[in-house]
Amino acid sequence: MFTKVLVANRGEIAVRIMRTLREMNISSVAVFSEADRNAEHVAVADESILIGPADAARSYLDISRVIKAAQQTGAQAIHPGYGFLSENADFAAACEAAGIVFVGPSAQTIASMGDKIEAKRAVMALGLPVVPGFSEAGADDALLIEEAKNVGLPLIIKPSAGGGGKGMRVVYSHNELPAALASARREAMSSFGDDSLLLERFIETARHIEVQVIGDTFGTVINASDRDCSLQRRHQKVVEEAPAPNLPDNVRASMLDAAVEIARSVNYSGVGTVEFVVDALNPADHFFLEMNTRLQVEHPVTEMVTGLDLVELQLRIAAGEPLPITQSDVQVTGHAVEVRVYAEDGNHNFMPSSGRLVQYSVPDNVRVDSGVRQDDVIGTNYDPLLFKVIAHADTRTEAFIRMDTALQNCVVLGVANNISVLRALVQDSQVRSADLNTGLIESLGLGQSPVHPGQHEIIGAALVLTNSLTPKHPGTAWEIADGWRVGQHAETSWTLTSGPDFSTHMSVTSEGSSIWATVDDGEPVRCSIMPRPPGKDCYSVVVNELAKAVTLVIDDNRVLVGAAGSSWELNLLAAGIHDDFTSGERSLDHVRSPMPGTVVVVEVKVGDSVTKGTVLAVVEAMKMEYSLTAPHDGIVIAISAQVGNSVAKDAILAEVGPQKTNS
Amino acid sequence: MPVLKSAVDPTSEAFARNTSSMRGLVKDLRALLATTALGGPESSRVRHVERGKLLTRDRIDALLDHGSAFLELSPLAALGLYSDEAPAAGIVTGVGRVHGREVVIVANDPTVKGGTYYPMTVKKHLRAQEIALLNCLPCIYLADSGGAFLPLQDDVFPDREHFGRIFYNQAIMSARGIPQIAAVLGSCTAGGAYVPAMSDECVIVRNQGTIFLGGPPLVKAATGEVVTPEELGGGDLHSRVSGVTDHLAENDNHALLMVRDIVATLPPAATAEWSVIDSCEPLYPSEELHGIVPDDARTPYDVHEIIARIVDGSEFTEFKPEYGETIVTGFARIYGNQVGIIANNGVLFSESAMKSAHFIELCDRRKTPIVFLQNISGFMVGREYEAGGIAKHGAKMVAAVACARVPKFTIVIGGSYGAGNYSMCGRAYSPRFMWMWPNARISVMGGEQAANVLATVKRDQADIRSQEWAEEDEIEFKNGVREKYDAQGSPYYASARLWDDGMIDPVDTRRVLGMAIAASANAPLEPISYGVFRM
Repeated sequence: MFTKVLVANRGEIAVRIMRTLREMNISSVAVFSEADRNAEHVAVADESILIGPADAARSYLDISRVIKAAQQTGAQAIHPGYGFLSENADFAAACEAAGIVFVGPSAQTIASMGDKIEAKRAVMALGLPVVPGFSEAGADDALLIEEAKNVGLPLIIKPSAGGGGKGMRVVYSHNELPAALASARREAMSSFGDDSLLLERFIETARHIEVQVIGDTFGTVINASDRDCSLQRRHQKVVEEAPAPNLPDNVRASMLDAAVEIARSVNYSGVGTVEFVVDALNPADHFFLEMNTRLQVEHPVTEMVTGLDLVELQLRIAAGEPLPITQSDVQVTGHAVEVRVYAEDGNHNFMPSSGRLVQYSVPDNVRVDSGVRQDDVIGTNYDPLLFKVIAHADTRTEAFIRMDTALQNCVVLGVANNISVLRALVQDSQVRSADLNTGLIESLGLGQSPVHPGQHEIIGAALVLTNSLTPKHPGTAWEIADGWRVGQHAETSWTLTSGPDFSTHMSVTSEGSSIWATVDDGEPVRCSIMPRPPGKDCYSVVVNELAKAVTLVIDDNRVLVGAAGSSWELNLLAAGIHDDFTSGERSLDHVRSPMPGTVVVVEVKVGDSVTKGTVLAVVEAMKMEYSLTAPHDGIVIAISAQVGNSVAKDAILAEVGPQKTNS
Repeated sequence: MPVLKSAVDPTSEAFARNTSSMRGLVKDLRALLATTALGGPESSRVRHVERGKLLTRDRIDALLDHGSAFLELSPLAALGLYSDEAPAAGIVTGVGRVHGREVVIVANDPTVKGGTYYPMTVKKHLRAQEIALLNCLPCIYLADSGGAFLPLQDDVFPDREHFGRIFYNQAIMSARGIPQIAAVLGSCTAGGAYVPAMSDECVIVRNQGTIFLGGPPLVKAATGEVVTPEELGGGDLHSRVSGVTDHLAENDNHALLMVRDIVATLPPAATAEWSVIDSCEPLYPSEELHGIVPDDARTPYDVHEIIARIVDGSEFTEFKPEYGETIVTGFARIYGNQVGIIANNGVLFSESAMKSAHFIELCDRRKTPIVFLQNISGFMVGREYEAGGIAKHGAKMVAAVACARVPKFTIVIGGSYGAGNYSMCGRAYSPRFMWMWPNARISVMGGEQAANVLATVKRDQADIRSQEWAEEDEIEFKNGVREKYDAQGSPYYASARLWDDGMIDPVDTRRVLGMAIAASANAPLEPISYGVFRM
């Protein structure tokens, strides 16, 4: 067995791999970019080494730097995690050339299965069903548009390289094809350095079910059961579970066998996943989708129900050991569910978010795979996954109840996230009855309309703000900042906003020991606030005698509010003075970036005449491209956006002046 | 420090009766304050807001630090005067906090007769400036006024304490290093133009504020020139061409933000010359003050009960408790500030006056502010007391009160009659601040006494002329005098005429004093100085 392994990854997966390394008494080496100096995966590693700037292409994706880091630290093997270099055949080959063990299948296997076009061809050759589609190396747009007629509608465009939803586009009519192809190519190129695309029939009511396979270098291949990953948003998995529920035995058996057969056909060594698309209405119709030659994000659900440590098995196989288990050792016990907590605002259509994790606490009675800690600054350089929560119980229902409770007890403030949506999902009756399909999240409309903070949350915010004005030990009577007026109740007022669609005006009045809050035009309600265990920012907020636990943190000009897993950022407009003036500065003429990201396209130049809605520039962040359009007809009078520039949220990218007149 | 022990039974019937009576008075006061605070008629207010301007009190809220208290002065000025068409005399004044320091704010209310100056408006403006001058507090003028109320020009314009005194005060204060800052949020016409012009720094709102000596109608009449107000004296003109203003704002909020920024650049305020420590609340709740003052003013009560509900920890180190017992003197703290307290506990005798004079000298020598709790029917009269020299002993107390250079604060918690008013630092003795409780009465003597005195004089005159004066006529005469004294002795009558700085709920006494004492700490103390004490 190795004595030192380098983990060529970051975030929760790097931390999770290092946990097994530690349990196996193997030294761990972390690599990190300049953006990750203080990241948790660096903190928990035995050794760590800087490999480049924040830009992943020049750090985590830079093969030569990673190999060099392994050589410098004397690591005998490199575990690639998922994403980054995990399915890069060149990297596997480079490791081999450098005499370092790549923890994963051979470069050749990666090359044949990692390329979706190659993989489909190979599986078809085995006589197994694949989704109708068209793929050909180097196919240009014209050819793809022509072949689309044979594939049929709706269809999905996918990059040949990579995965995880990046660059994928669903197309419902042939007219949409040219634009969708251009945008998919751009994203594929920026994400994977390869803009090859393929087409596939898109099965509208589909389930995504995958089989975990494990093979060793001695030709043994077994399955470690299956997982259902149907709950996706824009092809990004959100909730996964094992085993796949509500699946006829013969279909399950057929998929398990097919997966093992496929793996065996490529002499698969290591852990891998064979993904199938299953017609939710007729599970007998299931097609091979692709094979992932790496550890999956959702591997913990398999670990929970099988008791296996998949990372340990990866390491043993990579070290040349035979599989220590046989197929009959794989027993599924109970049910496990995993949710992915992303830095994406579940209240605002999953807009990517960033910022400091002002509060971070997760329950300790479920498995949490996390790569972040309190006070970490979450940027937009990398994948938005913050952490995963995995609940395991005897039955599926119990696992979901356990998950719901766990999410309720999560406090994640400072970085907008999707916990409220996750809770809604795990509570949803259709989800609970295992009536799953990949369009379910969209059809439920989750994240489409914001869930606003309730009375306890906003009144709690007003009360902590009011209390914060007065020092603990006032130096003079003037320091009691309760808004005292002659012959009136002392009153302070607060205007709080959350996103573009929520604003509330509150006043807090005190008379003797009684405190009353008036929210907008409502009647005054009696309220109070008192600290509660465990944290300094945990309060019990009482409104009309009903107490609720709310976490409230004042951070600059905002209050971060957490309750029952949900969180809100309430921005403060000081009474009267700042709002008019600052909103006056926010001119209609300015075109601002809706989120932090990178400018990928600039369509116009200064002096161009534009009409309302003309695309001026495109900003990309995470997996989304946002088009910035002209706010009104006019002339472009300034462009500060430059392709490749990183831009902050609300940064002014362009300015559109009024139409020239003939005077 | 010795702690006062209350002998009041809050469960007694008298306590409940007193509470009910005082609460009634406070409720009336609050209702009147609330109505007055609305400002001008609704139509004017609606028009004002529609023009994108903030109402006067909203301007003040926006100017002050968030949550800052506002110690409003004379909110009931002009009550019952000018057919009640000038609520609060059309001007809001007071002390509040901007960037953590106390400032005096003088804000015209343009919804009240265009913010024009009635006689009481002038008096209120000058009083606010006097408070600024005495306490060295920066002045912020939120100017939005049409100038003098012309129908009453003879009571507004010519005299020493009239309109011109505003600008005189600005010059004098500026000379003493007391910052003068103006925001022109509306008209500043004719004399009003000098408010910004005499300020150290001023802000004007574009397309809203105007400054000119003669408005467009006057210009047209004088020279035939036709000009818009904005061209004649708008923000752009004064900020870019004339230099009358220094900062150009886009709207009220922007202007107020600029004023805040100006205050942030001022040199630091002075600190108290007396001892200030961490404060603690009184042992007895201030709400009980409502139940302590008897509902019948003729019923005596122990003023220690009041002190116990105003001072820190109810701690009171009494001076000469066994001598001249009708006045209570001693040291205590209010919001951590060391103060001397002088409180009436009956009619003044020679001993009480001498004890007070001594105590005032102690406080003055020790640089300790003095709080007067005034509830006094006067000095004792009669042959024995005149022979005992009560006039010269009273004179000692009055002289000490007048000359003491430490800040003095007066609260009229009951009666304020005759020379008792003088010796207990009435308005004429320039307390830094003075307030009245709603149960207070103020006049040269009580209505009953006045009726008897005047009736006696009249009967004597009738007797000399050997005229008949029927008993019914005398009763009617006395009733007339009583009614007049009752009306004029009301604290509302006093507050309307600026004889005080406002009426307060007894519960607010501690808070109000705490703020006033802290504000007074901004001014350095003058050298100690006394004249001749008649011995």
